[in-house]
Amino acid sequence: MELFKTKTHFDFVRQMPYMVALSVTMIVLSSISIAVKGFDFSIDFEGGTVMEVQIPANVAGDVDEARLRGIMEKLGQPDATIVRLGNPEDHEFRISLRGSQEQDRNLSITLLKGINESLGGEVVAKSVESVGPRVGGELRRAGVLAIVLSWVGILLYVWLRFEWQYAPGAVLALVHDVCFTAGMFSIFGWEFDMNVLAALLVIIGYSMNDTIVIYDRIRETVATRGTTELEGVVNEAINATLSRTVLTSGLTQLVVVAILLVGGPVLRGFAKALFIGIIVGTYSSIYVASAVLIWLSRRYGHAIPAPKAKPERRTRPTRATS
Amino acid sequence: MTLRSRWILIGVVTLVMAYLSLPSFFSDEQRANHWWLGKDGMTLGLDLQGGIHWLLRVDQDAVTQRELEKIASGISDAASEGKVELTSSEVKAGVLTLKGDLPGLRKLIDETAPGVDVDEENGALVAKLKDRVYKDAIDRFGASAVEVLRKRVDGLGVREPIIAPQGHGRVLVQMPGVKDPAAARKVIEQTTFLEFKAVLDAAPSKELLLAKFPNGLPEDQEIVTEDLKSGKRQESEALLVPKKAILKGDMLEDARMSYDRRNRPIIEFQWNAEGAKVFRDFTGANIGNRLAAIIDGKVITAPRIQSKIGRTGEITGDFTREEASNTAIQLRSGALPIPLVLEEERAVGPSLGADSIRDGVRASLLGAGLVFIFMGAYYSVTGMFANAALIVNVIMIIGLMSAAKATMTLPGIAGVVLTVGMAVDSNVIIYERIREELRNGKTARAAIQVGYARSFWTIFDAHVTALLSSIILVMIGRGPVQGFGVTLTIGLLASMFTALVVTRTLMDTVYGEHPERLRI
Repeated sequence: MELFKTKTHFDFVRQMPYMVALSVTMIVLSSISIAVKGFDFSIDFEGGTVMEVQIPANVAGDVDEARLRGIMEKLGQPDATIVRLGNPEDHEFRISLRGSQEQDRNLSITLLKGINESLGGEVVAKSVESVGPRVGGELRRAGVLAIVLSWVGILLYVWLRFEWQYAPGAVLALVHDVCFTAGMFSIFGWEFDMNVLAALLVIIGYSMNDTIVIYDRIRETVATRGTTELEGVVNEAINATLSRTVLTSGLTQLVVVAILLVGGPVLRGFAKALFIGIIVGTYSSIYVASAVLIWLSRRYGHAIPAPKAKPERRTRPTRATS
Repeated sequence: MTLRSRWILIGVVTLVMAYLSLPSFFSDEQRANHWWLGKDGMTLGLDLQGGIHWLLRVDQDAVTQRELEKIASGISDAASEGKVELTSSEVKAGVLTLKGDLPGLRKLIDETAPGVDVDEENGALVAKLKDRVYKDAIDRFGASAVEVLRKRVDGLGVREPIIAPQGHGRVLVQMPGVKDPAAARKVIEQTTFLEFKAVLDAAPSKELLLAKFPNGLPEDQEIVTEDLKSGKRQESEALLVPKKAILKGDMLEDARMSYDRRNRPIIEFQWNAEGAKVFRDFTGANIGNRLAAIIDGKVITAPRIQSKIGRTGEITGDFTREEASNTAIQLRSGALPIPLVLEEERAVGPSLGADSIRDGVRASLLGAGLVFIFMGAYYSVTGMFANAALIVNVIMIIGLMSAAKATMTLPGIAGVVLTVGMAVDSNVIIYERIREELRNGKTARAAIQVGYARSFWTIFDAHVTALLSSIILVMIGRGPVQGFGVTLTIGLLASMFTALVVTRTLMDTVYGEHPERLRI
C-alpha cells in the first residue's frame, strides 16, 4: 500500500508568504487571548481545592448541581464551581474552589463533613486535591522555565548539528507551536493543568522531530544541488519527506485519538493539547521552520555543507552502480 | 557486526529486559516466594493505586518567632544576672526589639547571642536572625519533622510510605493505600507527648520491679520501660516513676547533638524561662538521682543528675554519634510541636485509581493496536518487522523501568503508547526512504543499504532533540508528570535501539540472500 504512488510536486514555497501571514495572525490572536483573557489554570498552578465526590444512592435522589451549590453557599463557599461527572446515575460531582486556602488546611475535610450533615449520608470522596498558592506559583514558574530551557537547548543543538541559518527557524517553529496550542486553551477556556504543560513539552519534542527530518533532507539536497535554486531544493526536500510526514503524524494522531476517546477524564486535556500540537507541529516544520531558513539563507547566504561523515561514505559505491 | 552477533545481542537484550520486567507483574508475596523472580519492580503511582500525597513545609514565620523568643529569654536572663537594665523585650514579625540600657545590651548580645544582627532604631535595639542561623533552624526543624512524621506514619500501618526531605524545610509524604484524608490528618496534628519524671527505682525488667511490690504499685506511681532501638546497651530497663511529671515537653526549647571537650558526643538542651526555674530547683534537690525523659510512655533517656542546672544543660554518656543525634531529635520532636504548613494535598480513592488503570490500559491497547494493524497493512512483511521492533521496545521500557524501580503513573501509561507512536516514526523514515530509492531505480539490496545509512543521522538528531524536552520534564515535573517524563525518556532510548538494530537485522536475515523478495 502506498499513500503517494508517484513523486509529489507540491509548490510549498510559493504558499509560504500566505501561510506565514496566517501563522502571524494566529500567534497574535493567541498572544492577545493569553495576555488579556489568560488561562483557566487548574489548582496545580493557582492553588485551591478540588473534590470529586460520589453521593450514596440512598440520599442521591434529588441531589443535583443546584442543591450542592446551595449547600456550599451555606458552608460559606459561594464561589464554588460544581460540575456533574459521568452519567446521572453515577451521582458524581466535582466541587472546585479556586485560589488560596493556605490558612485552613482542613477546608476539604470541613466541607465534606458539612455536605454529609446536609445530605444525611456518607459522601464518598473519590479524590481530594489541595494546592497552596506558593506551590502553585512555583509550578507556574517551573513550567515557563522548562519550556524556555527546551527552546534554548534545541537552538544550541540545531546550531551545532546544522548551519546556523537552520537554528532560528527551528526554534521559531517551536515557539509558534507552543503559542498556538496554549492560545487555543486560552481562547476556548479549556482547563490548563500539569498534564497540559507536559503535553506542551511533548509537542516541542515532536515538532522538533518533524523539523529535523525536513532540515536533514534540505541539507542533503543542498549538498548535491547547491543553493542557487534554494526554493526548488526546499520544495523537493519537503515533497520527498511528505509521505513520511503524513504517515507519522497520522499514526501518532491515532494514538492520541485513542487516549482522547477512551483514556478517561484525567488525560483529556493532555490528549487535546497533543491533538492540536501534532497538527501545528507538522504544519510549522514546513511553513515556519523552512520559511525562516529560506529567508535567512537568502539574506546571509548558506554554506554548502561538506559531504556527511561515515554512513554516507559507505553508500558511495552503491550509488555509482545504480 | 555480523548477522549472528546482532541476533545474539537482540536476543540477550530482549531476554534480560523481559526478565527484568517480570516482577512488575507479580505481587510482593509472589516475588518473595519464587526464587526465579527478581525483587525489584515498578511501583504504581498514587494516582493509580490510590493514597495520599502531601507536601509539607516548616512554617518559616513560626520558626523565626521561636528562635528569636529563645534568644530573647537568654538575653533577659543574662541581663538580670549582669545587672544590665532591660525595660522591654518584644518579638514581633521576625524582629526582636529591646529597650533599656542600649550600649550595655548591645555588649550583652555580642557576648551571648551570636546568631543575630543588631541595629539601633528609634531608641531601641532591633535584632534579626542571621541568614545562616535562620537556614540552620529551618533545616533542623525540617529534619525533626521528617523523623516525627516517619514515626507517626509507621504508626498508621502504611505499607511502603515515602517520607523525604525536599530541601528548604519541605517534606514530601506519600502514603499509598490510605483512603481517608481526615484520619490521616492525625499524622500532622498529633503532638508527641514528652514528659520528664524523677526515677524512683529501677530494675532490669518490669517483672523484677513488680516483684518488689507484693501489694501492688502505689496509686500515684507507674512503671515505664526503655525504648531501646539501637546502641551498644542491649539490655533494657524498667523504671518506677511517679505519675505526675516534673516538666513537660512544651517547656523544652531545643535539644541538639554536640561534643564535649574530649570530643565525645553529648546532647545539649535548653529550657524556656519557666522550665529553667523548675529544673533548677529540681536538679538542686536531686543531685545523684536519675531523671527520665519519656515520650508517649516510652523512656528515651534516663541520665543521672550530676549538678544543679538551669536553663541549659547537657546529657553525657557513652553515646555514639548516631545515638546522641537520635535522642536529640526525639527530644526535639517532643518539644513544642513543629509548625507545619500543608502546601499540597492529593488524595486519590482506590476506585478512581482502578478506573484510571483501566482507562489507561484500554487507550494504550487501542492506540497500539491501530498502529500495528496500519503498519502491517501499509508495509506488509517489513511492516511486521517494525511491529516486532515495537514489541521489543515496549518490553525494554517495562524492563528498564522495573530495574530502575520507577513509578508508573497514568500519564506514564500514555507515555508508553505515545512512544510507540513515535518509535514507529523511525521505521517510517527508513521505509519511505527505501521506497524512494527503489522508485529511483536502485536494486533492492542497494535501496535497503541507502535507506538505513541515509536515515541514521536523521533518526539520531530527532531522538536527541526529543530527549532534550523529555529530560527537562523529568527535571522540573512533579509526581505523575515526572513519571511521564521518565517513561518517555526511557522509551526514546529504547526506540533508538529497536529502530536501528532490530528491524535492520530482521531485514538482513530475511532479505540478505534474496533481496529481490523485498516486500515493502
